[in-house]
Amino acid sequence: MTTITKAKTPRWRKVPKTNYILLSIIVFLSIFPFYWMFVVASNTNAEISKSPPSLIPGGRFLIVAEKVLTAQSVYFSTALLNTFIVGISIAVAQVIFSAIAGFAFAKLDFRGRKGLILFVVGTMMLPSQLGIIPLFMLVKNLRMIDTLYALIVPALITAFGVFWMRQIIDAQIPNELLEAASIDGASVPRIFFRIVLPIVRQSGFVLGLFAFLAAWNDYLWPTIVLQSPKNFTLQVALTQLKPMYGLDYGLQMGGAFLATAPLLILFIFVGRKLVTGVMDGAVKG
Amino acid sequence: MRNKIITKFSARALVASVASIAIVAGVFTTPAKAADPVTIRIWTFGDVIQRNLVAEYKALHPEVTLEIKKSDLDPLNGTNMVTACSAKNGPDVVATEVSYSGYWRSYPKCFQDLRQMKTTGEPSTGIPAGQTASDIQKNYLPWRWQQGVGFDGSVIGIPTDVGGLEVAYRIDLFKKAGLPTDREAVAKLWPTWDAFIATGQKYISKLSAANKKAGVGFIDNAGTIYAAIMNQGTAKYYSNDGTETGKLIYSTNPQVKLAWNTTIKATNAGIGTRIGQYTSDWNIGMNKGTFATILAPAWMMDYIKAQAPDTAGKWDIASIPGGGGNQGGTQLGIPSYAQNKQAAYDFLTWYLAPAQQLKVFKTYGLFPSASVLYNDPALIGYKDPFFNNAPVGKIYAAGVQKLKPIFEGKLQRAIDTAIGAGLGRVAAKKQTADKSWAQVLNDLKKVVNN
Amino acid sequence: MTVLNERERPKKPLSPWKPKKTSAQKAVAFPGVKSLNGRWGYLYVAPFVIMFAVFGLAPVIYSVYISFFQWDPLGSSTFTGLRNFNLLLHDSDLWLALRNTFSIWALSTFPQMVMAIGLANILRNTRLRGKSFFRTILLVPNITSVIAITIVFSQLFGRDFGIINLLLEGLGLNHHIDFIEGVIPSHIQIATMITWRWIGYNTLIFLASMLAIPNELYESSSVDGATKWQQFRYVTLPQLKNTITFVLVVGTIGGLQVFAEPQQLAADGGSSKQFLTLTLFLFNQAFVNNKYGYAAAIGIFITFIVLIISAVNFVITRKISNDGTR
Repeated sequence: MTTITKAKTPRWRKVPKTNYILLSIIVFLSIFPFYWMFVVASNTNAEISKSPPSLIPGGRFLIVAEKVLTAQSVYFSTALLNTFIVGISIAVAQVIFSAIAGFAFAKLDFRGRKGLILFVVGTMMLPSQLGIIPLFMLVKNLRMIDTLYALIVPALITAFGVFWMRQIIDAQIPNELLEAASIDGASVPRIFFRIVLPIVRQSGFVLGLFAFLAAWNDYLWPTIVLQSPKNFTLQVALTQLKPMYGLDYGLQMGGAFLATAPLLILFIFVGRKLVTGVMDGAVKG
Repeated sequence: MRNKIITKFSARALVASVASIAIVAGVFTTPAKAADPVTIRIWTFGDVIQRNLVAEYKALHPEVTLEIKKSDLDPLNGTNMVTACSAKNGPDVVATEVSYSGYWRSYPKCFQDLRQMKTTGEPSTGIPAGQTASDIQKNYLPWRWQQGVGFDGSVIGIPTDVGGLEVAYRIDLFKKAGLPTDREAVAKLWPTWDAFIATGQKYISKLSAANKKAGVGFIDNAGTIYAAIMNQGTAKYYSNDGTETGKLIYSTNPQVKLAWNTTIKATNAGIGTRIGQYTSDWNIGMNKGTFATILAPAWMMDYIKAQAPDTAGKWDIASIPGGGGNQGGTQLGIPSYAQNKQAAYDFLTWYLAPAQQLKVFKTYGLFPSASVLYNDPALIGYKDPFFNNAPVGKIYAAGVQKLKPIFEGKLQRAIDTAIGAGLGRVAAKKQTADKSWAQVLNDLKKVVNN
Repeated sequence: MTVLNERERPKKPLSPWKPKKTSAQKAVAFPGVKSLNGRWGYLYVAPFVIMFAVFGLAPVIYSVYISFFQWDPLGSSTFTGLRNFNLLLHDSDLWLALRNTFSIWALSTFPQMVMAIGLANILRNTRLRGKSFFRTILLVPNITSVIAITIVFSQLFGRDFGIINLLLEGLGLNHHIDFIEGVIPSHIQIATMITWRWIGYNTLIFLASMLAIPNELYESSSVDGATKWQQFRYVTLPQLKNTITFVLVVGTIGGLQVFAEPQQLAADGGSSKQFLTLTLFLFNQAFVNNKYGYAAAIGIFITFIVLIISAVNFVITRKISNDGTR
């Protein structure tokens, strides 16, 4: 009895104190930039411009927040809503389309499959900036300029998403399982919805979350295609805070903080799930 | 003083409205379409479009909705406007900063020629009907107006502000260094740039060893001298040969070499701190007195006030060496694919009329490009307590009137960037001046040819 | 639930760019499920293929077309054949950008990997208190926008009054480091931003593969009297090979596209273009100098680099998996 426990746990000695210290430093470094945003946003520019700068939050945050929320043509709450609409649409669509295509690439035997997936992986590595002008012309011809569709439609599908889901499905679902189901007479769509989808739910959630985050923080493309304030996303709305010349650090950071806060709140709820998802994806895909 | 302005205002408005009544009477027979709701979409950056004036315009025109979209300068004037024009799309009004006017003057087809537009007329605010851009040109500073004219002579933008450039200096630090502090006497210290550099060296020589080690300097960034000198000339990198882009003269124009050499001289004399403008280091330096002078465009005064409120009263403004200076400024134009050109033009002419420019100056410190105001006591008499009650209106008005029109060419901004980088290399002691200049020429060849 | 499932299944870290071969399937390179009707595949990939062709591929192909022109989006365009490519290969900026990209990539990848493995090694200890708290916090940097965070970092890295230089001064360094003008210092600043953002993510990936290492390996090694370091060196590390390559590949894809961080520091990439990256170079040629043809040529060059890296990767992976099966 004792020998078993001894054999099983010798490497889990007590955690050295230094490890806790190290981890605390990492935690501090991870959080500090957010804290700094808040410090800058809650102090006057003059206080931030002292040396050494003030490291504790000041009392100005509410004033700055009000400025952000009421600034000319910022429409913060509209932008927040728009960003959610765009982010969730993209996330849901990417998960569904990627799962469908990923399933086909992983498990269905059709001609040209191998070449196609290699091609997709190849295009993943191209810089997206390359296609912006033609994409703009395209979106314009589809009459989607200055609508949220201009953000959503081109992002419904990404090569990365398909590739990721292919890997996940390939690794998480043994062929034998599907063989057995099909011998029992299940059709391909039935197998997909009843067997594949439930198994990859967790990984799909993570893919969706990353798509959501990417959409939330996207800046270059929205600033090109969105034109009227009622359609702005948060990142575009934030540029409305810039003064004519130079920078108003306080206002800028206040805006950035307010735009990040919803994500932080979201993170409290889904953080753990994200962690499991990332780790799941790592082992299996 | 305030009363004076108001009377001045109303007198002007009265004259103008009397004049316009006659015209309006003529138009009156056509049914008034003013009530149709219309949305003017505006692409701008920063605070080119002031919120107070927007509210005022909305009160005047309840039927008009102003939709304002701000972007950063480069995405706006570079990416977004190019993309929009190439896709035959665009807003109703767009703001172009002067650093991009050289580029856009090569593409007048992307803009409505404002000479072909006519104002609807605004009796209550003194805008007569039927005015084309040519009619209102006389109100504006001539060389500034030229920055909104396309290569084919079409008017593609009307100037908002002019970024008159003078020297902001710290009285307390000058005193400590044994320099005169009175703004007239200070201006006499540096009739030329060489004298400015010599003054800087004198200032540096008086510094304590500790200060020297801490990187204290005379001017915030010696590299800013380059642009100041370039704008004092009559040509930059192009000469006007009637073509779309102009003829490149950057390698032969003596002004370029003069500006470069003087800036290098200032850099090597060690009078600058090398802090980049608009960095957090710069803001802090402003508070700590790390530098005693800034070449300050009119619009920068507000920035200094906001960043370093504790230095109130310690600053003053003196004339810039070499006489006159400019940096920055914006034009408003109407893209050729705009959907509401008439409404846009009416807004634009109202917004940029002298009366409105004066309001912007009073509330925000942007110096008017409407030169008719330069005799206006409301402007000339304006003193700023933050800058030791310097008559900033008078100083800047005198400065901008000394400048001459400069022909700007298509790739001007790219050329400016390459030369700026070259100066930066010398300042960072990465290259000698000669090597850096050789690389500039090499880089420019690529900019022009590739 | 997933945890239970994991326990039941044999775990094996795998390389993501290569289909995983289980022993039964080794003969077939790219297996599908035989009894499923493969023709459904066309229907299932159709939405992806169509959307991808329209919004992903078409713009890129159009860009390739553009690369043979001197292309002014607002004016006339003339066919110039291979001129753009010829000019590009003789453009010193290209090679500078290549150098910078790789330098930033190396500075952001390798230290980060070492740290991530170290962190994962700490986090795997089952007796660590607050495990899940630490794991979660690690992912927080991943959710922020690059632009906001660049402003924060450039304040911290300020040459004269930035906190980092003040700290270094406190440590006795009396020469302030210019994290913009210096070549390596500027790369360090950018690499720090990238590391800050991604280290947590990579730590979790390493942690996951570490947890998947069968306990027996450790047991037998500790019976042999191996020290902790020896265990790490001879048991843990070899098992991480595939994950290390995975992180390298993902890091390389990201590394070739580094753009927003340098652009926010200085849009032209610095006075001596010391942090001009390939993607920033492309962007500036297209959207600042309005040379679309030239920019498109840069894009094609980047594709070439990607192909070369993939080839190198392929060779290395081969070698590793051969070593692994030995």
